[in-house]
Amino acid sequence: MPVKPLPENRLWDIRAFVYRHFADTTHAPGLDETAAAFALTQEQAASAFEDLHHRHAFFLAPGAHEILMANPFSGIETPFRVHADGKTYYANCAWDSLGIPAALHADADVEAVCSQSRQPINLQVRAGHVSTSGALVHFLVPFEHWYDDLVFT
Amino acid sequence: MLFFRSEADLKAWLQSKNAARGATLTISQLWQLSQLWYHNRMDVEYHGRSLEQVQAIFKKVGLVSEFWR
Repeated sequence: MPVKPLPENRLWDIRAFVYRHFADTTHAPGLDETAAAFALTQEQAASAFEDLHHRHAFFLAPGAHEILMANPFSGIETPFRVHADGKTYYANCAWDSLGIPAALHADADVEAVCSQSRQPINLQVRAGHVSTSGALVHFLVPFEHWYDDLVFT
Repeated sequence: MLFFRSEADLKAWLQSKNAARGATLTISQLWQLSQLWYHNRMDVEYHGRSLEQVQAIFKKVGLVSEFWR
């Protein structure tokens, strides 16, 4: 039997819960945790996750109900580490590594590497300013194709 | 989106991947884009943005080429 979709406001409350969970804990809430927080069945929570995935509010791992990305946060470890508010977050890409301090409005230290030389790239965000660096960021995929394959992008 | 320490590193990487060059930003430009893109991401009221809003953000950072449309 199909699950009745949740009201819009409830759906967006779940999105806000996911983001707050990432900010507080550095990782994504599980389906069980989300269902419990909103007094939903597993099926209702799964349906809400799928709905929010289709709306690009966050992105699920293929074929699963695990949150892979809630940009700028990554649900898995990546080479883009961001130290902020006494925690270590993982970003999805170079852009998102600066997206985390922007989203949290926090100072941060970004630890990443050059994709060619594997030499470290360290950036500092302090009081709304980023440290000067000669590093570059390369966007391979044009904007109109970003959502064709978000992991590749 | 990947970091490179220098233009030479980017060129070597593109050659090794046989990939066409996309768009490059300085760290300052990336920070400006990040702030415009993510400043309200934690807000309960944030429900995404329209294509027009996306284009307005790109324009503020000077990203107006075909790549960003």
